[in-house]
Amino acid sequence: MIANAISLMIIVPLIGALVSFFAGSKAKFVALLASLIPLVLSLQMYMEFDKTSKIMQFVESYNWVPTLGVKYTVGVDGIGFPLLFLSTIVTVLVIIYSWGETKKPNQYFALLLLNEVGVLGVFTALDFFLFYIFWEIVLIPMFFLIGSWGGPRKDYAAIKFFIYTHVASLVMLLAIFALYFTYQLPDGSRTFDMLTLLQATSDKTIFPTSLLNIIFAGLLLGFLVKMPAFPFHTWLPDAHVEAPTAGSVVLAALLLKMGGYGLFRVIMPMLPNVDKAFVTIIAIIAVLSIVYGAFMALAQKDIKKLVAYSSVSHMGFVTLGAVAFTWMSIQGAMFQQFSHGIITCVLFMSAGTIQHVVGTRVIADLGGLADRMPKFAVLMMAGFMASLGLPGMSGFVAEFMVLTGSYPTLPTYTIIVVFLSVATTAAYHLWAMQKAMFGPILKKYMNVHDPHSYELFSMAMIIVLTLIFGIQPGLITDMMGTAATQLMEPVVTLTQMGVI
Amino acid sequence: MYADYAYLIVGLPVLAFVLCLFVGWHLPRGGGFLTALATFGALVISLGIFSEIYPDKIIHQSMPWFANFNVGILIDPLALVMLLMVTFVVTLIHTYANGYMNGDPGAARYFAEAALFTASMLGLIYADNLLQLFIFWELVGLCSYLLIGFWYRKPSAAAAAKKAFLTTRVGDVLFLTGIILLYNNMASLNLALKPGEYLLQFPVIYAHLAEIPPAQLTLIALGLLGGAVGKSGQFPLHVWLPDAMEGPTTVSAMIHAATMVTAGVYLVARMFPLFYAAPHGLTAVAAVGAFTALFAATMGLTAFDIKRVLAFSTVSQLGFMMAGLGIGAAVGTMAVGVAMFHLIGHSFFKALLFLGAGSVIHAVNTNDMREMGGVGKYMKWTMYTMLIGSLSLAGFPFFTGFFSKDEIIVIAYEYGVLINFLPYIFLVLAAVLTAIYTFRMWFSVFTGKERSNYGKHESPMIMIGPLVILAVFAFGFGFAAQSDFYSYLDSNFEHYDVNFEELSVIGGHVLAGEHGATEAATGEHAPAAEGEHGAEEAHAEPWYIQILPIIIAIGGILTAGLFYWDKIKKFDPSQVTGDNDPIRKMLLKGYYQHEILTGWFAEGVVYGTALICNTIDIKLVDGWLNWLSAWVMGFAQNIRKVQSGVVQNYVTALVLGIVVLVVVISLAKEVGLA
Amino acid sequence: MIPLELNILLASTMFTIGLYGLATQKNGVKLMMCIELMLNSANINLVAFSAYLPNVNGQVFALFSIALAAAEAGVGFAILIALYRLYGTIDLDNINAMRW
Repeated sequence: MIANAISLMIIVPLIGALVSFFAGSKAKFVALLASLIPLVLSLQMYMEFDKTSKIMQFVESYNWVPTLGVKYTVGVDGIGFPLLFLSTIVTVLVIIYSWGETKKPNQYFALLLLNEVGVLGVFTALDFFLFYIFWEIVLIPMFFLIGSWGGPRKDYAAIKFFIYTHVASLVMLLAIFALYFTYQLPDGSRTFDMLTLLQATSDKTIFPTSLLNIIFAGLLLGFLVKMPAFPFHTWLPDAHVEAPTAGSVVLAALLLKMGGYGLFRVIMPMLPNVDKAFVTIIAIIAVLSIVYGAFMALAQKDIKKLVAYSSVSHMGFVTLGAVAFTWMSIQGAMFQQFSHGIITCVLFMSAGTIQHVVGTRVIADLGGLADRMPKFAVLMMAGFMASLGLPGMSGFVAEFMVLTGSYPTLPTYTIIVVFLSVATTAAYHLWAMQKAMFGPILKKYMNVHDPHSYELFSMAMIIVLTLIFGIQPGLITDMMGTAATQLMEPVVTLTQMGVI
Repeated sequence: MYADYAYLIVGLPVLAFVLCLFVGWHLPRGGGFLTALATFGALVISLGIFSEIYPDKIIHQSMPWFANFNVGILIDPLALVMLLMVTFVVTLIHTYANGYMNGDPGAARYFAEAALFTASMLGLIYADNLLQLFIFWELVGLCSYLLIGFWYRKPSAAAAAKKAFLTTRVGDVLFLTGIILLYNNMASLNLALKPGEYLLQFPVIYAHLAEIPPAQLTLIALGLLGGAVGKSGQFPLHVWLPDAMEGPTTVSAMIHAATMVTAGVYLVARMFPLFYAAPHGLTAVAAVGAFTALFAATMGLTAFDIKRVLAFSTVSQLGFMMAGLGIGAAVGTMAVGVAMFHLIGHSFFKALLFLGAGSVIHAVNTNDMREMGGVGKYMKWTMYTMLIGSLSLAGFPFFTGFFSKDEIIVIAYEYGVLINFLPYIFLVLAAVLTAIYTFRMWFSVFTGKERSNYGKHESPMIMIGPLVILAVFAFGFGFAAQSDFYSYLDSNFEHYDVNFEELSVIGGHVLAGEHGATEAATGEHAPAAEGEHGAEEAHAEPWYIQILPIIIAIGGILTAGLFYWDKIKKFDPSQVTGDNDPIRKMLLKGYYQHEILTGWFAEGVVYGTALICNTIDIKLVDGWLNWLSAWVMGFAQNIRKVQSGVVQNYVTALVLGIVVLVVVISLAKEVGLA
Repeated sequence: MIPLELNILLASTMFTIGLYGLATQKNGVKLMMCIELMLNSANINLVAFSAYLPNVNGQVFALFSIALAAAEAGVGFAILIALYRLYGTIDLDNINAMRW
């Protein structure tokens, strides 16, 4: 048992980021080391994690700004841990994938590590103040990754990404302040403690429904924009198209998950106490995201944009599962977060590899690449299959659980999703695959060849992970099941749990 | 003993898949022998299990998986006959493929995918719950996709692969809906499950069917039927199957004739109690099956690609099987035995025909029957084995097809007496056409003059061997096994807690004669042969109904001969039809199904919607955002003129401001406001 | 002793002249001179009130202010010289590289 494991996980990449910034060409080694340590720690935590316990684990709590009630409190449960685990895995693989980065590698790797600091903080923070700080930290490295290493319209994309999500975060911040200033502890002081505030929201005398509705809407907006859900998704395709591959991977695999995490951590405990109309609204948003995302993906000409819209579609399942609010659907939605996190990596890596091997991502200009890039073709195919929900891979399990679980509470929406998205999803994946990889090899691509082994390695590792979690989802759904049970019960604070 | 190794039936092919994928490239013939051996191993285990549990035991093993689901193995008569058939036929096909794929640079990939396919198909068969079945069902679909697109450099192959996957996916949408409905209906019963029981396990489903509302049962049944329609190439989702012939011929034999496409029929048979209980469930099955049987047969009549003829024939024969199951509305569980018997028999002779066709194509290097003719002179083995297959398919007396297919026609008559004659009429017409198109193919390939300069040599023994073995089964299986088979499969649902009498009331069935009713109601059967023969005697269809299929078969073959066999040729096809004949055109075009489904629906409606969404996204959803930012920018552009950058202006403004303030404050003091 | 009013009158005159110059002149050196005028008018005020009260604090402030003014003038002229080298002029209207 390692003391302060979570703090260590947050600090090591932070130090790593500083060191690799000054490490020049050695930055990648520093970055790899600094990202491997959290991975090892999270594996260790996985071994020690009690999957049946409803209590927050690995909790650390220190006073930070006592006069304002701000504490440094971190801890994980079945909601946070899978995402923590995901973040450490993805960061390592992304760093390996970017091994050949030549443009300002020291800054590049430092930003990737800084990004890890932010997401790890978001997934573990149990204090709204801390949560918000980490939430905003994440924007900075991503802004620079897009802005410095991006494509031709990088300025537009970076600024759009930053402003769009930042505005939403500010709305969220206002809602957090509303929570903070409305609730007083028995001794008259105020607190940013997440669980305490969430527990208080069920008290109608402190938070009348009319007030809670507004707070809820503010928080919801913050998370839905981040996810992103229709109609707040338009920053995503632009950001993805312009971002460098590693940026896209991290953006889709980790940053979007912050929105989903917010849904589980903050939105769902409040859901029973707000206006019932919100359920309908969120369900409609979820269905639209899934179906609309799938159709949008079908219409795209750029393979990376296609993948970006597939993310919108897949993240819709998270929203749907969360709002359906059954034991099965919540688990499914959490697992979809994890599963999409790994699958989307291989999709964006595929798009990135095509970009730098062939020089274009326009699907119509590609053709027959499987002929010259057989290993890559196999991995890309596996990734696409995982993404379209092929059984045996993790995506299927997640989507199946969401759909099966959502039917009892939201039958119509579920059936609409099944009818309109399942086949469409398969259609755009297969269409892209066929156009890009199959058919006769085009003359101009006679000289392309399989990408570097480190790129193939990262992709292969992810395929292995999708298979592992597709064949044995229990590895991670067990703790999600516990978390789902817990979410359907009233919130319990850390003090009541007896951990602090 | 063998039952403990049941998991190896899937395990061995999976192992072969992994080996072929990673080391197959370094092995002779792409490691094809691994795949063949693994399948053979599965066959041996299946036979061992057969010897252990025949005739009255089943094997059920299960372990928890995740959430509320489990993985398990269920080997009952239904699963066992499928296991034996699949392992047997596929072993032969893999052996044959060792010859057929020799020299192909992608042989290792082929054998890896073929092994994965074998594993998936076997896993599908002995799954003990619907989710697991669905998972393997999808994996089978994946393998089909990979194998159809095996020659991915060919644009038509890549397109056909995509089409196959997507079309079956449409069926799977319905299948998935059915599973979701079934699961939630089962869950809402709040059953007190014993340890080791799970909601989607077949025995649990069977036991609680009567508690599910009938309307829901019908929806579930239609959903599952949708899946079956997609996978088994029934109308209107049959369009992928003829195109699937783009794959290597062994793939066509293995997947699109003998095994995978039968999965849909198997699903309906597996869920037979549910279809039986669902009002209109079996009626829908019968309607789809009978219509497809005739519909596909008409298209088989005009195709001139040898593999497409066989493909349409497969669609048509699958229609027969479906219809056979649907007829269960009139004859009860007996229908399962009849349909499954045709399924097994069909896989023997259809695998034989495809492998024979592969042998021909391998030698003459074309698929087009118009360029063949007289091939029999050079390929005696192929010609005679294919003759056996063709006779069997046409339903010539005492061949397997005669026993299996004609039984369906006979019981369709009972269905007609009781419910509706349409399926019977459709099936009879389809049977006539079957005999005609089969022998049109056989005559025009093997007899007559050479119509082009093709390769002339017999195929190697590794390819002929499987043909001969299959030919033996295509000839003798029906005669040898019919009665035992029927009684064995009739006993299938006795192992479970199914009350067919109750289900029959829910489903609103009137069974044919007393025998059928008691049979279904009590679930008791006279052992061995008596059950089937008893049934036939009890119903005693008129003699002309019994004899009709024989007439059909011989008449059809003769008709084909009059047109295509040079020895007795009396007519020329051009006397009946010409190139401009609209009906012939329509049949050649497959009733314009491609134009409707791919051209209009997929490319028009679906892609059109996608484009509209795209426009909305750019103009509206993103548009308002860009408009807002543009407005902000414009406003800022204007307002920043105030910030002139000339310090003197600021100073002046400052002084003026102070002066105004002073004046205002003094005035306010004067009037006493402050 | 000179009456306080005269001192204040002198100071406010100087201040107004400085202010006027600041608002109207374009030449950097002239602007510096105007600023000096304004500073010194404040100094006169400080000293005058110090003598009037009497309280020595005002004179201390005046000394501070002179020291600061010297430093400010040093920096200011340094900037002006740098600008002159760069642009060849110290007319502030021409030094507008950072203006829209």
